[in-house]
Amino acid sequence: MQRKTFYGFSAPSLVMMGALMAFPLIMSIWLGMNFMTFRNIQTPEFIWFRNYGEVLTDPQFWQSMRFTLIYMAVTIPIQLGVGFGIALLLDQVTRLRGLFMAALLLPFIVVPVVGAMLFRSMFDPSGIITWFFRDILDQRFFFTEGSIKAVIIIHALWYITPFVVIVLFAGLQSLPSDQIEAAEVDGAKWYQSIRYVVIPHLRSLFLFISLMLIMDAYRVFDSVFVLTGNNPIFKADTVQVYNFEVGLQVQRLGKANAMAVLTVIGVLIVLVPFLIMTYRNQIAERE
Amino acid sequence: MRRTRNPYIRAAIYLALGFVAVYSVFPFLWTAMQSVKTVREANSRTPRLFFEVTWENYSTLWLESTPENLTTLSLTVLVIIGVVVTAMVFAERLPVPRWVVYWLGMAVFAFILWQIPRIVDTAEFYDYFLNTVIVTVGTLIVSITIGCLAGYALARYGGMAGAIILIAALAFRALPRLAFIFPYLWIGQVTGLINTHLLLIVTLVAINQPFTIWMLRSFFRDVPRELEESAMVDGASRLTAFRKVVVPIVWPGIISTSLFTLLLAYNEFLLPRVLTQTNWTLPVAISQFAGGEDPAHVTLAAAGAVSITLPIIFLIIFFQRQLVRGLAAGAVKG
Repeated sequence: MQRKTFYGFSAPSLVMMGALMAFPLIMSIWLGMNFMTFRNIQTPEFIWFRNYGEVLTDPQFWQSMRFTLIYMAVTIPIQLGVGFGIALLLDQVTRLRGLFMAALLLPFIVVPVVGAMLFRSMFDPSGIITWFFRDILDQRFFFTEGSIKAVIIIHALWYITPFVVIVLFAGLQSLPSDQIEAAEVDGAKWYQSIRYVVIPHLRSLFLFISLMLIMDAYRVFDSVFVLTGNNPIFKADTVQVYNFEVGLQVQRLGKANAMAVLTVIGVLIVLVPFLIMTYRNQIAERE
Repeated sequence: MRRTRNPYIRAAIYLALGFVAVYSVFPFLWTAMQSVKTVREANSRTPRLFFEVTWENYSTLWLESTPENLTTLSLTVLVIIGVVVTAMVFAERLPVPRWVVYWLGMAVFAFILWQIPRIVDTAEFYDYFLNTVIVTVGTLIVSITIGCLAGYALARYGGMAGAIILIAALAFRALPRLAFIFPYLWIGQVTGLINTHLLLIVTLVAINQPFTIWMLRSFFRDVPRELEESAMVDGASRLTAFRKVVVPIVWPGIISTSLFTLLLAYNEFLLPRVLTQTNWTLPVAISQFAGGEDPAHVTLAAAGAVSITLPIIFLIIFFQRQLVRGLAAGAVKG
């Protein structure tokens, strides 16, 4: 394809991404250098890097960053492990497979806000978990900082694990059966075939899924926002939720922009090795 | 993997999968049950499994006042929708061209949605529903149109610029949304576009573009170049060859991508939450019910949650295969 035709075809998309992704990103660096609330949004006051310094010395910011990292460290390995287990089980059956898949798809593609609300309503005074704690365990369930964090993590396992299951299951379908048979002829036990045949075959998929999970866990917002909503007593903010609060509730728009820029830098550091790898693949493909 | 033949292990596998399935859908079943209870029964401290079914929560949510002929009206609407959907499914057998049927059907749907508030006294929730429909459909059309053009170009162009654009898109896709949304808020405030459908559609298209072009590119790459080249030898322009030859082949891939674009726009919460003040979409509207102390909110939230989830359940029923294929394609080829 000619260069001119290429730009002709991709122009609308490139203009869109340039004007509404690249440009805002650069703009947010500048917006972060202003003292700005909703009141003086037309005439912001330029204060250089004071907002950035304020964010980096804000204990609440670091607290939210710590919870985000804990959330990632706990949920991602469990999602990968449990998801792989369920995918292996799903691979063993043919009957009812469509039904199982449909049931798994539902929490994953439902509106995240709604999924979080369903979870939360089970902890209402009339909710089934409140009832379970009261009438079966004879205890009371309280939302505390610890228990809300546990609920956030359980909810994350509930709605993200299906993604891992479906992608890995699709990968298992492409597993050549002669390799497994060869392993079995050599006397491999089932766990040995999984360890030495299945997992190496799925390695690139595991890498891809991990990357998606890391990206999404780092910027988790909807579910945490709804699950902790209207309860300032306990703090279970993730970085995005705290960033939102600083912008929309405290109305420090400049500081919020500075924080967004700093979180972008944080994720880019993790992302750069992967971007370089993809770039090499692209170049190799072109030659 | 080879399937085990041991009947006990097989039973255990089914049991485990059954447990996973029930665990996945249990919150939905529970909420569906809460949504057809009276406020009193839904707030009972001991969960009730047997109760009288009432549709009152749904009418409170959707309607300001209940008209007497509600049953007749809703049946009429359902029959019209049924006829239109049937016509669209069997469009090939009708004596008119297919695109006429599709456009007419869409026009009928739009007309019904637009006329309903003039016939019955709808509540605010209906306005939020309309906002969601407008924003989702707008995003879908714009995003897929420009995404197909760019995805095709990226699949065919061998130059360096293509690789750089793809890497940049991948990086954009990974970034936290707020880094884009706060500048959008500023732009919206300064230009006065805040709270409009236009701003929501344009920003949603931009935010979903990286995902769309990566996925569509992977589908376009599977089409052999010879097909469009022979069409171009026969005198067709690149654009005509693309429209008449390439797009029909990639159509299943376009459907898969469209489904995910649709879900992304329909599910989006943070963007409309920041960029609208009154013109909410459904996720923003329903989040207002979350965590409130008002007992009446329990049933309203349940009815709202079921209302929002129903379209997604239809999507799973009719498009399960395409959804799974889309997820797999994004992973295996991406």
